Amino acid sequence: MFANFRQAMTWLHTWFGLVLGFVLMACFFFGSLSVFDREIDRWSLPDTRFDAQPMPSFDRMLAPVFERLKPNPGDMAATARRVTGDLPSPETMSLDSLYAYTTHRDPVLLVGGEFAIPNAPVDPADDHLHVHGWATIDPRTGTKLPDDQLKIGSEFFYPMHYSLHLNWKNLGIWIVGLAAFTMLVALVTGVVMHRKVFKEFFTFRPKKRAQRSALDLHNLTGVVAMPFHLFFAFTGLVIFAGTYYFPVSHTLLEPLHERHEVAEAARTGLPHERAGVAAPLASVDAMVAEAKRRWAARDMAGDVGFLTISHLGDANSYVSIFRAGTDRVALVGEAIYFDASSGDVIREDPPRSTVGAINAFLTGLHLQHFRHWLLRWLYVLGGLLGCVCIATGFMFFVEKRKNKHAATGNIGSRVVDALAVTTVTGMVIAAVAMLAGNRLLPTDLPATGAWEIRIFWCAWLLAMVHAAVRSGAVSQARINPAWREQCWAIAGLALAAVALNWITTGDHLIRTVFVDAYWPVAGVDLSLLACAAIAAWAARRLAWHERGAGQMHAARSHRRSRTHMAGG
Amino acid sequence: MGAWQLLSMDLSIAKNRPAALTLRVVVALVGGYAFTWGFVTFGIASLAALGRDFHEAEMLLLLLAFIVYLGLFLWAFTASSLMRVVVVFAGGGLGLTVGAWALQRAVLG
Repeated sequence: MFANFRQAMTWLHTWFGLVLGFVLMACFFFGSLSVFDREIDRWSLPDTRFDAQPMPSFDRMLAPVFERLKPNPGDMAATARRVTGDLPSPETMSLDSLYAYTTHRDPVLLVGGEFAIPNAPVDPADDHLHVHGWATIDPRTGTKLPDDQLKIGSEFFYPMHYSLHLNWKNLGIWIVGLAAFTMLVALVTGVVMHRKVFKEFFTFRPKKRAQRSALDLHNLTGVVAMPFHLFFAFTGLVIFAGTYYFPVSHTLLEPLHERHEVAEAARTGLPHERAGVAAPLASVDAMVAEAKRRWAARDMAGDVGFLTISHLGDANSYVSIFRAGTDRVALVGEAIYFDASSGDVIREDPPRSTVGAINAFLTGLHLQHFRHWLLRWLYVLGGLLGCVCIATGFMFFVEKRKNKHAATGNIGSRVVDALAVTTVTGMVIAAVAMLAGNRLLPTDLPATGAWEIRIFWCAWLLAMVHAAVRSGAVSQARINPAWREQCWAIAGLALAAVALNWITTGDHLIRTVFVDAYWPVAGVDLSLLACAAIAAWAARRLAWHERGAGQMHAARSHRRSRTHMAGG
Repeated sequence: MGAWQLLSMDLSIAKNRPAALTLRVVVALVGGYAFTWGFVTFGIASLAALGRDFHEAEMLLLLLAFIVYLGLFLWAFTASSLMRVVVVFAGGGLGLTVGAWALQRAVLG
């Protein structure tokens, strides 16, 4: 098959990298944006531009919020298809369990719960059926935010990076998994291909031919950020492994898992089922105070990140209070559990085992709940270096082949180049167009979120069509002008987004940086300006290269025609 | 050319290179996954049989899973005989999965 080991590795690197590189690009780019998803939310929802809030009082603020919480109509319809008979009216349904979730970067609070239903499931294996309801509230007043608003950062860019919004049979999650696995393959095979990794690390020849510079930059970003890329691809896979990629505890090993769950419930004293006896709810605020006291005794920062109540209104009901992990890498935890009706502590999470600690550290380092702004920016840098690495990989692929393809009439490099334009500049256009669109859509438009999503996909599609239409140049071994044109589009859109934010909300940079500092919005504005500057610089460089390549091309065809004439 | 012929002949001299490559990609991805699945389930069942906590065992095996998969995947492309790869992946995957199932039965009594 392959003459030797290196040839096999090179083939894998080239072809798996090319095919799944397009997906990886989306993972790295939207993953980088997700680092600041809450800040993008603030930018796109001006009503929520206030300081991050701690978990509010349950007894005074949240209890009435949960009383008003109703089942989600979409989830009602989905559940109705899975049960026999009609569901009860949403007005009469009562909550079986509830949750409230916040982080140190959230002004708004996410609340939700499960409503009990009496219906039997169509599929007997489909146990634990509930109707879900959820809402985002202002924790200062308990007011509900409109349901049709979209949190562009945490509800669109963030899921994009791990599911591509392809939710049918979790197809997107599987594609992203394959892409992450390909990233691992590409890193290992890349090291094998380039044995002189250290020498190449110090090699960058920006003035050389595009093919050389692209390869140098590909190697440089690949090596310098290798620990970062390896880590994110690997932990991304591990985070989803138990649920999606290797769901062993829900399939082959389900009996073993079930036995473990029952034993666990007996050991921890946290009831698995309802008792069927009604019981009142004691003061949850008193439980929170006790949880904070116990965390403080262990010398830990004591903000509540996640609060749940199971088996509401029942004698078996219990309250779980999880700490927000702002002071360490490992995820939220150190939960303390209370009997809901007496308020007594039932249990405290024991210290983690070695494997548990390693797992919590790895997943925590990927999901970053900690409070460390420099580290957060380094994540963005690492993610963007990943994008550069993949993009230069595409360019090297095209540059290496385009002369030969131009001579033989092969359209391979032309197609790859058009797809590269779509995934590199096209993706940025889609994201920035979505932000600009967010500021342009009328505030009273129903389902604004749905319109923003349409703008995103339409802008991306448009970028793809544009890249394809302009790709003819590659067939003549020249640079596709779409690269330059889309860079200008990015610059224009990014500047427009900053200006529109100023016009529609009055939050210009002088105010958000100096007068009344509000870094979430200032950060997004400054990033947009940086994006515009880089895009404009790239566009000018591309124009310079295009002229150079054009002159070379003209000279060559001139020479060719002269030889032709001389020959004729 | 049938898949069986492709498998049994020396692929370094295969005339039909795209077909041979496609076959190898499928074997590496699907076969490697099957073997890894067996490795994960058998590993968890073994640790559970030894009295280790289920979730603990699951976490450990899922951390190892992608390293094992990566190794198997690369080996599938470097092995000279694809036949050997298929035998190891299918046999190992099936054997380990059946082993995991038998162990689970034994543990649950």
